[in-house]
Amino acid sequence: MTAMTLSLAMAAGSAQALTLYTAGPGSLAKKLAAGYEKQTGVKVDVFQATTGKVMARLEAEQANPRADVLISASWDTATDLEQRGWLLEYQSPNAEQVPAQFKTPYYVAQGISALGIVWNTKSGTTEPKDWGDLAKPEFKDKVTTPDPSLSGASLDLLIGLQNAHAQQAWKLFEDLKANGMIIAGPNAQALTPVLQGAKAAVFGAVDYVSYGSVQDGESVKVIFPSSGTVIAPRPMMILKSSQQQKEAKAFIDYALSPEGQKLVADAWLMPARTDIDAKRPLFKTLKLLPEASQASASRKDVLERFAKLFGQQ
Amino acid sequence: MNRNAFLPGVTGIALLLLVAVPVAFVVLQAVFPHLDTGSYSAPFSTFTRVFAEPSLQALFATTLKVGLGVALCSALIGVPLGALRGLFALPGAVLWDVVFLIPFLIPPYIAALSWMLALQTNGYVQQLLPWLHLNDFLFSLPGMVAVMTLNVFPVVYFAVSRSMAASGSRLADVARIHGAGPWRAFIRITLPMALPAMASSLLLAFTLSIEEYGVPGALGSRSGILMLTTGIEQRLADWPIDMPGAAVLSLLLVAIALCAYSVQRAVLAGKNVESMTGKPADVTQKSLAGWTLPVMALFTVVAFIAVALPIVSTLVTAFSGTLSGGLTLSNFTLRHFGNLFAAHSDALGALSTSLSLALGTALIAGATGFLASWLVVARKIRGAALIDGLSLFPATLPGIVVGVGLILAWNRSFWPVTPYNTWGILLLSYCCLLLPYPVRYVSAALKQIGGNLDAAARVHGATAAQALRMILLPLVFPSLLASMMMVFAVASRELVTSLLLSPAGVQTVSVYVWRQFEQGSVGDGMAMASIAVLLSLTLMLIAFRLQQRQTS
Repeated sequence: MTAMTLSLAMAAGSAQALTLYTAGPGSLAKKLAAGYEKQTGVKVDVFQATTGKVMARLEAEQANPRADVLISASWDTATDLEQRGWLLEYQSPNAEQVPAQFKTPYYVAQGISALGIVWNTKSGTTEPKDWGDLAKPEFKDKVTTPDPSLSGASLDLLIGLQNAHAQQAWKLFEDLKANGMIIAGPNAQALTPVLQGAKAAVFGAVDYVSYGSVQDGESVKVIFPSSGTVIAPRPMMILKSSQQQKEAKAFIDYALSPEGQKLVADAWLMPARTDIDAKRPLFKTLKLLPEASQASASRKDVLERFAKLFGQQ
Repeated sequence: MNRNAFLPGVTGIALLLLVAVPVAFVVLQAVFPHLDTGSYSAPFSTFTRVFAEPSLQALFATTLKVGLGVALCSALIGVPLGALRGLFALPGAVLWDVVFLIPFLIPPYIAALSWMLALQTNGYVQQLLPWLHLNDFLFSLPGMVAVMTLNVFPVVYFAVSRSMAASGSRLADVARIHGAGPWRAFIRITLPMALPAMASSLLLAFTLSIEEYGVPGALGSRSGILMLTTGIEQRLADWPIDMPGAAVLSLLLVAIALCAYSVQRAVLAGKNVESMTGKPADVTQKSLAGWTLPVMALFTVVAFIAVALPIVSTLVTAFSGTLSGGLTLSNFTLRHFGNLFAAHSDALGALSTSLSLALGTALIAGATGFLASWLVVARKIRGAALIDGLSLFPATLPGIVVGVGLILAWNRSFWPVTPYNTWGILLLSYCCLLLPYPVRYVSAALKQIGGNLDAAARVHGATAAQALRMILLPLVFPSLLASMMMVFAVASRELVTSLLLSPAGVQTVSVYVWRQFEQGSVGDGMAMASIAVLLSLTLMLIAFRLQQRQTS
């Protein structure tokens, strides 16, 4: 009986529901979906996973596309999809308050995260100040890092470090590897052992996950390294294959509305709009890594080199 | 279609849809890498490519090592305990059976996550026993083998104890009367009698462990150890994807499983010493005498490690405010259970989705399995071998392969309608995976009934369908119901195909728990896990009782 009710509900719902594929906080996606549904009456089906999995699903469904709106955690993935010609051009009126660096004709940031070191204050180690501190003997076998092939933001950090420091960056990764740093799945999976104290710090953690843990009372601290870090704007885009472009545009509008941006800020992300407040440091106050002097490193090369260094291939 | 062909027709179509279609597409995609563009070019080129990859050897070797390791360790735990339970009058024997049923009921991925929280540096165990360092052991191949063994060894325990109880002691007594010492009687009589059961249960342990995704998925990512299952998932679900590669690896995994399965069949053929007569065996179990205490201590230790520790770890996490707060009373909270019921939480949706899907699966797999075994055992129709083969084949199919097959089969533009991206695809995958349960249970029950009753009904003018409904169904109903409850319990927590196939907006219990771990809400995940384990425990115990009542 339940199964039948379920099937009927789904058959009815799927007729006009909007499909959202999103990386990053599932609770935020759920709240945005609920707020949007309340406003427009259109139901949103959410598929939430890591950037790698979301992109894989998009690719697998190429013959039969399902997603209407995509929110990725990596700016590069949006650039890539635009080049493939998969995206619909759309400028939301609500994007006016979004700084130019966080929008293009095809996609716009939903919010922005920054990468940093997350350190367990009860771990008995001294507070790290810069990336290089994690390669010191004190942190021997005590560091985790998210898998850049799964986490878009983590990959952005690798690219950022390589762009800024070139060969020096790879020297750092080698030192970290020699110091026993392990790769531990996507973002939160790198954080969990640090929470329990199995490890002392995460190299390149996405900040919003950790702010959430701090709020829950976990004894960890988010540290933005003194030499600079990268911010990861999270691009929102509409797929050209979408059958519901009107609803998809309305969803982007909602996510960029003051109400939507408030939800983004509540999830400990920096809002994309400059006129919305947040309870955490904003990107203007963060020291960022210098821009690349020449062409940016290709994501594929960086990933392969990193995977080889850490023996994943 | 005439009336006589209706039931075989329906059963055949169901089996084709559930089993043959996904398998066929895995084979097709493996052979023709450009199938998705409708082209049959470059056949077999993926095999060459995948076999040339240097990582393949490691994948293959790890999978075999884990399978053999789990089989060996399960033997080390399961055979002695099973022998003691089968041959001696153990205090609280039935209670021990129930206790050792539990590890088999805790979904392996939940067990693995619990072990991680218990054993990693500064985990629960180290918080209590600071000198005990098991972190490096857990995140290694032996650690993965240990966690899987603790889940799987009951298979061996039950097979060995039942087989020894049924046949071992009486003949051994005869040997003792003729002058053999107790050890000699055990080695020469009891052990050989139990060998087929032992061998087949060890092979089952091997198959279960090479098919496992949750444990290597949870522990392997931190130790950098890939098995075939996790390797397939990576190719399929991480960007950039490699469908043909995933299909080839799937075939490789099925090949290993099929080998193990055929060895198992060969070992069992004609040597089944378990009595299927339904007559109560005259069991005379010896007293343990002075050994009672040590034996009880042994059972207690195993039960503590395999059952109590992972469950306690799950519960402690579910009731802990923060992970960094550790094991203190002030860290106690009900917040995580509250979160499950909070607004915008997917938890209740996930629970009702899982329960609805499990109910649907139990009904469909039960009906299909019942019809299939009836056609094969009682009606002995033409094509029985094919129906039998198709309905039992999924026993050798790893969940991940069924998932791959369903994606490859249904995510195509040429179908006018497709279950892909609806909850229907999950129903298809669960039904396929769990079909062998009702088939096995019902076949066994039908074999005990014999043909007389059916024939008598037919002589008195009943049609085949009437005889089926009014004579056979009531007789095998307890077995069918028990198997359906088993199906329900397993389906309500299935992980790997749910991860691969859940469409947008649909979450199952397993996906919910997995995603909470991915997102750092470990407590919420474990709160859901506790509810899921409690639920499947209750159901399985009911099924166990039904089954007991029928066989005794």
